[in-house]
Amino acid sequence: MEKIKQNPIVKKVGFNRIVLCCVLVLMYILFSVTAKGFAGLPRILSALNYVYFLGFLSLGVTFVIATGGIDFSIGPVMFCAALISGYCLTSYGLPTALCLVISILVGFLFGCFNGYLVAYWTVPPFIVSMASMNIAKGLASVFTKTQSVSWPQAADAAGWFRKLVKVGNFPVGLVIFLAAAIICSLLLNNTRAGRYILSLGSNKEAVRLSGVDVKKWEMLAYVICGTLVGIAAIFFVGAYTTVQPGYGDQYNNEAIAGCVMGGTSMAGGLASIGGTVIGVFIISLLQEGILALGINKNYQLIITGLIVIVAVYADVVARRRKN
Amino acid sequence: MKKKSSIFASQKVIVLLVVIVLFAFFSIVSENFRQYSTIMSILDYSYYIVLMSIGVTFPLITGGVDLSIGTGLICYSLAGGYLITQKGWPVAAGLIVTLLIGIIIGTVNGVLVAVMELPPFLTTLCTCMITRGLGSIFSKGFGISWPAAGSEGGWFRNIFKITTASGTKLPIGFLWMILIVIVMAFVLNHTKMGRYTIAIGSNKEATRLSGVNVKFYHIMAYVISGFFAALAAVAYSAVFATVQPGTGAGFELEAIGGAIIGGVSASGGVGSVEGSLIGVFVICLLKTGLPYIGLQANWQQIITGLVLIGAVMVDIIKKKKAEVH
Amino acid sequence: MGEVILTMKDIDKSFPGVHALDHVNFEVRRGEVHALMGENGAGKSTLMKVLTGIYTKDSGTITYEGKDIEFHNTREAQDAGVVIVHQELNMLGHLTVAQNIFIGREFKKGIKIDDKKMNEEAKKLFDRLHIDIDPTETMADLTVGKQQMCEIAKAISHEAKVIIFDEPSAALTEAEIEELFKIIRDLREQDLGIVYISHRMDEIKVITDRVTVMRDGTYVGTLITNECTKDDIINMMVGRVIYEDPKTQSMVPADAPVVLKVDHLNAGRMVQDVSFELRKGEILGFSGLMGAGRTETARAIFGADPKESGDIYINGEKVTINSPQDAVKHGIGYLSEDRKRYGIVVQKTVAENSTMACLENYTKGLFIDKKAEKKVSEEYVESLATKTPSVDQLVVNLSGGNQQKVVIAKWLINDCDILIFDEPTRGIDVGAKNEIYKLMNKLASEGKSIIMISSEMTEILRMSDRIVVMCEGRKTGEVRIEEATQEVIMNMATREIG
Repeated sequence: MEKIKQNPIVKKVGFNRIVLCCVLVLMYILFSVTAKGFAGLPRILSALNYVYFLGFLSLGVTFVIATGGIDFSIGPVMFCAALISGYCLTSYGLPTALCLVISILVGFLFGCFNGYLVAYWTVPPFIVSMASMNIAKGLASVFTKTQSVSWPQAADAAGWFRKLVKVGNFPVGLVIFLAAAIICSLLLNNTRAGRYILSLGSNKEAVRLSGVDVKKWEMLAYVICGTLVGIAAIFFVGAYTTVQPGYGDQYNNEAIAGCVMGGTSMAGGLASIGGTVIGVFIISLLQEGILALGINKNYQLIITGLIVIVAVYADVVARRRKN
Repeated sequence: MKKKSSIFASQKVIVLLVVIVLFAFFSIVSENFRQYSTIMSILDYSYYIVLMSIGVTFPLITGGVDLSIGTGLICYSLAGGYLITQKGWPVAAGLIVTLLIGIIIGTVNGVLVAVMELPPFLTTLCTCMITRGLGSIFSKGFGISWPAAGSEGGWFRNIFKITTASGTKLPIGFLWMILIVIVMAFVLNHTKMGRYTIAIGSNKEATRLSGVNVKFYHIMAYVISGFFAALAAVAYSAVFATVQPGTGAGFELEAIGGAIIGGVSASGGVGSVEGSLIGVFVICLLKTGLPYIGLQANWQQIITGLVLIGAVMVDIIKKKKAEVH
Repeated sequence: MGEVILTMKDIDKSFPGVHALDHVNFEVRRGEVHALMGENGAGKSTLMKVLTGIYTKDSGTITYEGKDIEFHNTREAQDAGVVIVHQELNMLGHLTVAQNIFIGREFKKGIKIDDKKMNEEAKKLFDRLHIDIDPTETMADLTVGKQQMCEIAKAISHEAKVIIFDEPSAALTEAEIEELFKIIRDLREQDLGIVYISHRMDEIKVITDRVTVMRDGTYVGTLITNECTKDDIINMMVGRVIYEDPKTQSMVPADAPVVLKVDHLNAGRMVQDVSFELRKGEILGFSGLMGAGRTETARAIFGADPKESGDIYINGEKVTINSPQDAVKHGIGYLSEDRKRYGIVVQKTVAENSTMACLENYTKGLFIDKKAEKKVSEEYVESLATKTPSVDQLVVNLSGGNQQKVVIAKWLINDCDILIFDEPTRGIDVGAKNEIYKLMNKLASEGKSIIMISSEMTEILRMSDRIVVMCEGRKTGEVRIEEATQEVIMNMATREIG
């Protein structure tokens, strides 16, 4: 075991991530064997639909968790963005492109709100999350007058945005998502923003005493998260069309699950975009598998909950051992 | 000499004034609001939130939080209701099961937080999702109606509201709330359980070094929270006709928000049961009152969120000022 | 003074790399106040921790009330009547005074906690101590002095026979100290044995009956307080032979340009009206005993903590420093005594830590120029002789001395001209210490100006060109290295300014 861990290639990719990849493959094989017709393109495409929006949520929350914070308003904010922009499109007839921008803007503004309160006011992140979650739900309901919103179909002129998700059977969304993941990875590992976000998650006071404006960078993490949540909203409606006000919180846990499974530490300072991506694939595959097996989808809530608890506990134990 | 606990004593008074002002405002603006039936409906709405709020006050005072109470409430209610309506269990047995599941989930939360040292908000977010899933699984995805008032087995609804011979409805549930608040205020202020809850929130390590079994009392804080979520489930089942699976998310905000508005500190160590009760009424008044002045009920969600942030900010400013002195 | 109640004989204790206690003897009699003195790191606290069961001794015997004994934790010691009143208070701010005193052993009436009885008992304790505190007050609302009194009351409530005061006066005002002394005298009347750890020479003379002095983990001697002078005690405290060569002469010209001038700086109790100048190429030693306010002064200058008043001039120009950002912009670097908390980010690599203060200089467009970053950190790894397999190593895996060098590299890469070294060699082994010294001399000779806060007399005398001495948040003296001796400095460091 140790020998494998010391192998230079394994070290480079990361032992955890290799294990996760194996889990992913095994899960796929398992579902293909047990569920009829699971193997094949349709199921994969369907699972990918889930990957896109969940992936963006997960990428976003990775930045926040890297600072040692948390944001579980992401699901409802995604719905809020999708509802407000969708309502603009269907009821006010604004151009699609503008509505997509509005969606991102809504996410961005929520990110600013959350980040400002956490970084400059030191309001505990869980309180901020709880408040924004409800503000997002309330705002969406008020804006849409509690009506669900259906985005135009691909055949409509205004439905061109669906090409962002899929052209024919070609998963454009996957390309965009992976590109976004690469950008996020660069952002986290190769820019000042990422460096400071990770460092302040590990030791905020030391970073502050290095003359770094820690409040600004901490807020930025939430803003990045919010923006990605706005993008997630686009992919959600691109794949699933209809959004209902008052929902969205079930995705919080799945997004956080993808993130912590991938090796991002809840204590902050350690984050892996690659891990998050694999984590998201696992969660999405799980969702699809449960669907295919005809199992009550509520089991998925339970399984995801357990996954997060196990992953976080593993992190707690690992840190305890280090000290 | 300064009298003790001056800070949060005043916060309770201020919040009580806010409740009175809000009530007066809605009554003046809207004629429909100042009806006996409206007051009844505010009270009906308040029971389950008050109960959750009393319970969650304990984990909050330890410096943690319990986000699982909202979906938990629905889950416990569905489980009990399923046994009664589908399996023909007597209502009393269903109620006991409801309370029991609440205690079990509370214990699970407590062990995860106190023994395994997981972050409370994340842990309870997970149990929040898990209880939501469990609730739907118990009920097979269908709404469940506990026995109606007047029907066989509907007696438990009279715990909260009785109709007199002349047809007036009496909110005896409110008396229960007062009684429970008195009991829990006693627990918080005059028993070891409460004393150590505050001590853990104030300085866990110092408490441990004083020879207190910190883990046990830390777990118990979550057990209390779970138990009260289950009591809230009973109140919810008694007040509302049907319990729908998949709902309940967001209830916890109203309960936690009420507690924090009522003076519980988001960083632990400070709080009172009676404050939480008063805080909840701010939220319940907004929830019931806003439609009467022409605003959609959903504004209440937004305003609750903002009020919550505001309450925490006040707490932070107060603390900063205290540091300067 | 009564019979001996507690004897510690030949106590020996080693930690990896440090012989903390070397056959130390100590005894306490009933009805005496026994001072335990020594410089920082002399082993006073370790000895008391061995006594109260926090550490286990390697050898030696402890005799208490005529019996050989060993406590395994503070609880056991408490139950036997040996209680320590800590410098940092272990209090629960949200609870009342009485609730704090009886936490963990509340009186009960059925399931109800009998607060009334607790208040009464607390009142009795306070009466016994002649203190006026309302037991129902919330702990956090009390002054630090009153909180300290409560700790003492808590100690006594354990039926204490021996009470150890660990620098009890450090955070107290004059009036509060008076009150404390009254209590201590009362306790002495009641035949308790009292151990009093303090740095304040004047207090020792006023309150104690005997003085035991420790130095470098060894027992030096015990004197009757009335029969000795302050100088006798100082001599015992510093009487070590200095092996390393002290600096005899400063190479810095007396008229070298002033790079940093601090004028009437005030920041809380620990920094009161501090003024000094730092010249180019100089190592300015900051000496003083624990809690003298040196670190607080440094942090205030660096903008890490808010200041109340006072001006800072850099190269003759008045500057505003309200945050570490401002300080770094003006070329000040700060090495904290607590590296792990304030210096390094342990989960990051050497390279990442090295460029932390000036990352903007190592970016190309949007991205961090990792090649340049690597190159510059490698340069500094080499020039500071940092021992690390590569600059990609996580800092957590480095030894203390090498971690310190990474912090130094961070400031040098940022081209800081003014460096504040706060206890730069604390927790570093001897070899690495010498390297840090060499490095500091090299930096000074290259024209950097260094403020070195140190509690080690040898370090101060070996490194400094000039020495500022602080006591109780005030500057109590300044001396050029040519005139500096241990005695001179120690005198200044224990000087009270009324």
